[in-house]
Amino acid sequence: MDSFFIRYRNPLVLLVVLAAQIVGLAVQVRRTPGGRDTLDPRDGPGVRLIRLWAEDVVAPPERLFHGSKLGVIGLWQGYLDLHNVSQQNKDLQKTIDRLRLEQASLLEDAKQGQRLQALLDFQQKYIYKTVAAQAIGASGSDQARVFYLDKGSADGLDRDMAVITPDGIVGKVRDVFQHTAQVLAINDQTSGAGVILETTRTRGILRGNAAGQTQIVGILADQRIQPGEKVLTAGGDQIFPRGLAVGVVQKIVRDPDRDAFIDIIVAPAAHIDRLDEVLVITSIASHFPPEAQQDIATSEAVKGAEAAAIKDQKKASEIMAERLPGLTDPNAPAAKPATPPVPGQPASTTPVPVTPTVPKVLPAQRPDRYSPGSSAVVPLPSSPTPKPKVDKPTSSPSGKSTVTAPRKAPGTGEPGTPRRNP
Amino acid sequence: MEVFGPDYRRDLEIRRYPILIYALVPLASLVLQAWLPRLLRGYVWFDLPLVITVYFSLGRRSPIQGTLMGTTMGLFEDALSNHAIGVNGISKTVCGFLASSVGVRIDVENRTIRLILILLLSLLSSAIYVFIYRILLGMELEWNWWTEAFKSVGNSLIALVLFPLLDSVQIRE
Repeated sequence: MDSFFIRYRNPLVLLVVLAAQIVGLAVQVRRTPGGRDTLDPRDGPGVRLIRLWAEDVVAPPERLFHGSKLGVIGLWQGYLDLHNVSQQNKDLQKTIDRLRLEQASLLEDAKQGQRLQALLDFQQKYIYKTVAAQAIGASGSDQARVFYLDKGSADGLDRDMAVITPDGIVGKVRDVFQHTAQVLAINDQTSGAGVILETTRTRGILRGNAAGQTQIVGILADQRIQPGEKVLTAGGDQIFPRGLAVGVVQKIVRDPDRDAFIDIIVAPAAHIDRLDEVLVITSIASHFPPEAQQDIATSEAVKGAEAAAIKDQKKASEIMAERLPGLTDPNAPAAKPATPPVPGQPASTTPVPVTPTVPKVLPAQRPDRYSPGSSAVVPLPSSPTPKPKVDKPTSSPSGKSTVTAPRKAPGTGEPGTPRRNP
Repeated sequence: MEVFGPDYRRDLEIRRYPILIYALVPLASLVLQAWLPRLLRGYVWFDLPLVITVYFSLGRRSPIQGTLMGTTMGLFEDALSNHAIGVNGISKTVCGFLASSVGVRIDVENRTIRLILILLLSLLSSAIYVFIYRILLGMELEWNWWTEAFKSVGNSLIALVLFPLLDSVQIRE
């Protein structure tokens, strides 16, 4: 018997090791109510322990590598940035000013939207608190699109928290250790995020494919969906807040399994393969965080200052308009003030005919042939046509010159027709 | 004549390395496998733990050691991913066992043989991975064989550079 084990010890060890791993696999897989086999999203204690050991072994060197890389790059970039920092500051300040005005102009629409949502009993969630984290490592496999952050449960991270960048969503926290966290990227085959197309308002589920692309699967064929359309989070998955950028539609392909359906390939807005720093949404609330409220108040103040400036400009233009000669006749009688109704008597219900006020043209102080009302025609020197007779302007008793219109030619009704000699 | 028997010849050909090499090289392969794809923007056309498993299995020529090394490296890779723990473990266990079993019978000093061997073992590892995931576990997994072919070629290229480097640190008596 001993000789059997000694002789076949190599294949026996292989069989034992393989059998142990197969049993371990069987423990991890469970069958869904739909009859599909899938991994338990929450690791068992044994599996989690193995993952914790592996992460504890690999994370410290990864941090070291990542820190040294950042140090070298930061040193070089810091040197380069010194050259342009002043101009960049000016540009950034301009951008901030412009964005503040844009924010202020959009604020009214946002408030109106909030009021309407409140009427519909729909509670909007806002990003209340985020934690910045560095991506320090990945799974090392193209079949598992996960990466690791340098922050963990000690920093307030928890499972199923959304991970984003300013460009767009990145993924969700899949597992949390004390000082690290594993993030499942949106281009992994097992990921899922509720999304909506901005223009067509088509909803779907975003997931990854074998090539590492993100795609919306199981969409009914719709001719309106075109490449370039923006994709946003729908907010129904309880992970990503509504309205975050996901990407743009890259192309539309037929679903290989179902004829009436299409798959939409989405170009992610965030650079998922080149992530350095990400934000983990640790808290979502139904109101804005204090920083955002302060920012909105600043924008509103800016908007108020802008409105005051516009008001000042209007006032100045009104003063100038008063000083300059206008179309208003200063000698015209003042408008009769409306008589107040006599107490005890009913107000008169007789409609008063309202005549549209036509601006009265004031006579020119030094009239010439170009003055309004003078219908003088300047003939060409060589013109053989007889000149129309134009009466000389006469001075009125009030000292204002008036222009007499030319007489009508007999038989015609047209003014300015030359008079014929008998 | 007994000293020139098979066991003696095998003992002569077993490669030995400093303890630090046994500890650090596998660890470095795991760390680099997790870190380099981020620098290479997601192009994971190599499998450093498999290359290291095959190298030490060929050099040690002990199927048990090759089996255990493959198991350890595979389980580590699985633990760093979001997949079931044991898929990579089984595939690399088989690869480690086969590499060490073949290493007893062939001349492992020949570079061409080593490159062909690692190319074939890479493809075998991918095939076992798909078999376990789709057949054994019955789970959905999209697969691209071109990527696996590129990965096998990448492993061979890495082995072309790495094996001579590791050969140079072995203990020679």
